[in-house]
Amino acid sequence: MDIGLFGQYLANGVMLGTMYALVAVGFTLFFGVLDVIKFSHGDVLMLGSFTGFTVYIGLLSLGIENPWVMIAAILIVSIVTTAMLGAVIARYLVLPLKSAPPLNILLITLMLGTAIREAVRLFYPDGSNPKAFPALLPTASVDLGGFSLRADSVILVAAGVAVIIGLNLVINRTRLGLAIRAVAQDEETAKIMGINYTMIVLVTFAIGSGAAAFAGIMNGLYYNEVNFGMGLLLGLIGFCAAIIGGLGNIYGAILGGFLFAALQTIGAVALPFASAYKDVFAFGVVIALMAWKPTGLIAERSSDRV
Amino acid sequence: MQNKTNSDVRWMGMPALAVGLIVIVAIALFGWQFLLAESELAVLGMVALAAMAGVTLGKTGLQASMSAAMRGHARSMNIAILLALVSVIFLLGQEHFPLLMLTTTLLYMTVAFGLNVQFGLTGMVNFAGASFFGVGAYTAAVLTNHGAVPPLLILVAGGVLSALIGCLLIVPVVRTAGHYSAVVTIAFSVMFKTFLEVNDVLGGPQGLMVGPMKTFGWDFNSSPVFLGLEMSFYVNYALLGAGLAALAFMFVQRLERSWIGLTLDSVRLDETASACFGLNVVRAKVLAFTFGNVLVGVAGALYGMMISFIAPNSFSFSDSLLMVAIVLLGGMGSLWGTALAAVIVVILPEKLQIIQEYRFLLFSVVVILVLLFRPEGLIPRKVRSYFPNWRPE
Amino acid sequence: MAYAGNRRTIISAALAASLSLSFASAAMAKDTVKVGFIGPLTGGVSSIGLGGRNSAELAVALRNQNPDSKYEYELEVLDDECKPNVGVQVATKLAASRDVVGAVTHYCSSVAMGAVDIYHKFNLPVIVWGAVLPDITYGNDYTEVHRINGTMINQNDAAAEFMTDQGYKTWAIIHDTTDYGKGHNTYFSKYLTEDGGEIIGTFGVTSDQQDFTAELTKIKQLNPEVVYFGGLTPLAVRIRQQMDKLGIEAQFQGASGLKSEAYFKGLSGDLAEGTVTFLEGAPAEKLPGGEYFMAEYEKADFGEAFEAYGPFSFSAMNLLMDAVEEVGPDRKDVTAYLADVQDHESITGAVTFDANGQNTVALITEYVAQDGEWVVWADSEYADGTRTLTGK
Repeated sequence: MDIGLFGQYLANGVMLGTMYALVAVGFTLFFGVLDVIKFSHGDVLMLGSFTGFTVYIGLLSLGIENPWVMIAAILIVSIVTTAMLGAVIARYLVLPLKSAPPLNILLITLMLGTAIREAVRLFYPDGSNPKAFPALLPTASVDLGGFSLRADSVILVAAGVAVIIGLNLVINRTRLGLAIRAVAQDEETAKIMGINYTMIVLVTFAIGSGAAAFAGIMNGLYYNEVNFGMGLLLGLIGFCAAIIGGLGNIYGAILGGFLFAALQTIGAVALPFASAYKDVFAFGVVIALMAWKPTGLIAERSSDRV
Repeated sequence: MQNKTNSDVRWMGMPALAVGLIVIVAIALFGWQFLLAESELAVLGMVALAAMAGVTLGKTGLQASMSAAMRGHARSMNIAILLALVSVIFLLGQEHFPLLMLTTTLLYMTVAFGLNVQFGLTGMVNFAGASFFGVGAYTAAVLTNHGAVPPLLILVAGGVLSALIGCLLIVPVVRTAGHYSAVVTIAFSVMFKTFLEVNDVLGGPQGLMVGPMKTFGWDFNSSPVFLGLEMSFYVNYALLGAGLAALAFMFVQRLERSWIGLTLDSVRLDETASACFGLNVVRAKVLAFTFGNVLVGVAGALYGMMISFIAPNSFSFSDSLLMVAIVLLGGMGSLWGTALAAVIVVILPEKLQIIQEYRFLLFSVVVILVLLFRPEGLIPRKVRSYFPNWRPE
Repeated sequence: MAYAGNRRTIISAALAASLSLSFASAAMAKDTVKVGFIGPLTGGVSSIGLGGRNSAELAVALRNQNPDSKYEYELEVLDDECKPNVGVQVATKLAASRDVVGAVTHYCSSVAMGAVDIYHKFNLPVIVWGAVLPDITYGNDYTEVHRINGTMINQNDAAAEFMTDQGYKTWAIIHDTTDYGKGHNTYFSKYLTEDGGEIIGTFGVTSDQQDFTAELTKIKQLNPEVVYFGGLTPLAVRIRQQMDKLGIEAQFQGASGLKSEAYFKGLSGDLAEGTVTFLEGAPAEKLPGGEYFMAEYEKADFGEAFEAYGPFSFSAMNLLMDAVEEVGPDRKDVTAYLADVQDHESITGAVTFDANGQNTVALITEYVAQDGEWVVWADSEYADGTRTLTGK
């Protein structure tokens, strides 16, 4: 394989990995604070990208055409909206079920995901068809043999990595992060130490959902297309990535995201069978990995109290 | 807990058994009419009525009387329920579509009983229910198309194959816990469907035809004649489905009441503690997983033969989710709850065809509401009673 | 208690039914005949399904307005979700209800394949309005099953010939792994090889895939002149978009599943420009009844476009109702009538069913994307040389 082609695959893989990692980070955050899986995550992501698309249409009708202003507005509005939605989901669907079997939360968020997806399809104007998300980033490209790298891809990956690093800093370096980690470690003790438990849970859900919205916008800007079904598989893959990395660990989520992207790319190009088998391959490896490392590659540090 | 047989629980002066029988008859008549209902007015009216009846059931003490009947006269009640089901099947007689719905419900019920052993009792989540269902259906397709295996054996083969394929997952499933084992089955579910689609050996995305059920020279796809009336051929499948569901119910209930069930419960509640008390956790998990898959596979094989055409799309991840939804909605480990939830999950979206494209939205909202207001499921499982004479004589 | 209330609803329903019946008979004294429509109303291809449903509804509404029609028609619409299992269920439902005399069914081929046995079992005459897999009519000898649109065989024959005539030599094929995509791959490859084209790579993709960069990078390396996609619009939009992203300079060619307005709504800039696709039958606007259909559809103010197969659904429904007008509301008679349909006027051209119930539409129309709409090739600026396809 020539080096240019290899570079191209690598670039594609990194792009995919960044997106998966962003989704996986959300799963890991929710799991960390509440030990729950919020399955509507992928659909929240889709809603984020649709909100962004709506803002774009709105700005166009207002006559604003500067791409940077647009991107800023799209990001702010959709992240804020989605973050609020995340908090609302936590407050009204997740927290009330805290004492019920944990699977119930999985099911209720799953159904919420379906509801969001169906609502967008039915009530968003012409929602059942794919929408052309604008290409707002510069598209200049560098061509080196078989390798073409576009400026927008580079910007997107950089921004995605920046968001992940930023999230990591928030969790590990700020007072808010300290509170989140405290709640994640021991809810009771955290409450006794004067941490506003409900508030922290809501904020964590808001942050995770905001990250999903960012991933949604990123997805839109990269593929220049959004559709109501985009969240389903992304959510599933993000969940798998968070798990193979090890739940409750941000590095695990990042590792899982990039690993899954790598598996898909390898499955499509480097294996002897047809490229359609790439998902069979990727998910097969996931199963094998789980047999080998039952609590993920970066295992949760926990001990059973007997 | 109410450990004695409370024959003193009376409702409007009637003994528990009488109340129980009346309720069964009422539900059977309701089910019969509901399956036939077509206009949106009738369907919505009947749904509202059922919801109201459900609420009043709890308020008026009818429920207490009902559960007393179930506890005190388990055998008579179970026989009455089976009889009611068979009568409904014959009452529907010539109505093809309601019978198809009913049989599908019964088969989904069987599946949900199997899944119940897996996560209701043992706490192992299985998000690949539809895949094992599919293994059963594909087994039936291959065996009816090639070779002359007796059809009843095909059902068994469906179960066995499903258990064998489940063995592929045993190592990761047993080693992992909670959400981690969820991802193993989710990955398997996606993998299974994609594999069927890209691999042409089993028909690819186009799917396969499945031959009919034939037993003792009796072709299930020909219409039986009963009291001089030519019935829908679905009557055959409905009866077999009812038998299968009843058998599965009995098996699972016996399992739950046995020492094995107690072991499974304890593994669910605390794996570490169970191991400390000398319970073989791995064996319990393997047993529960395999037993569940067998039930799912058998139901899948019969489903394949009834529907006579299967394609990978029928066994996707979202179908697995539907099965998980049945168990959770009914109440984990609660068999009657599971049965009720199967009815709701299978029949309601179908009856909601009248609102066409809006029905999935409505369905998901309904499930969300149920989970919010009845987080333990529609009919929560009763706490195990440990008194020696808790079982009816 | 449940029972008593239940009986009340039955009584009230019966009352309402008898009331409405007596009104109907007082007003026009026409018998009501039930006809069915099945298509994907939810899921990824629901836009086509809704367009088909609207067209069928329009046909029924127009017929009911016609004072000369002998019956009052009532349309029962069901959703097959483009899933075979659901399709079989709703097909059974429709076929099993005795008052339905015929139906216009299915856009998705795999669903149609599962359902044809049901129609045969219950003797329900159906006309397929959009599914293109040849086996639906040719894979069985069921007299009940007819199809008004062409199969993918003629489509790909014409497509291969047209494209090689344009002077293209090398192709990369992407197809989705559903029956639809696989079928297109098989037939297109067959005819293309016969016409002298060379296929340098074939890629199967799943129908919900988002990212195609891995496949497209490989295609870029192979450097074909044309990328052929056998699949439906949502995927085509993504593939076209990502081709641009990777800088692949090749002509993009689709199949009948691509001819949807959604293709333009999903693509930003002028990426759609120059894409070619093929559809069986003559374009609605070129036929005598087409203008009428489009005007009425506009007037009825449906929320959705009628899309590529709306006219077929409209014609099929009209053909079905013509049959009922002629021989009365009886399934066997309608089936017998449909068996002999010769040169029946419709807005998609004259309909003639062969021995397998397949409409012999030899006509395939080539379309090219020009300024945000599908233009018939012969009328386009590409044909007269004002614009050129990629690489020409």
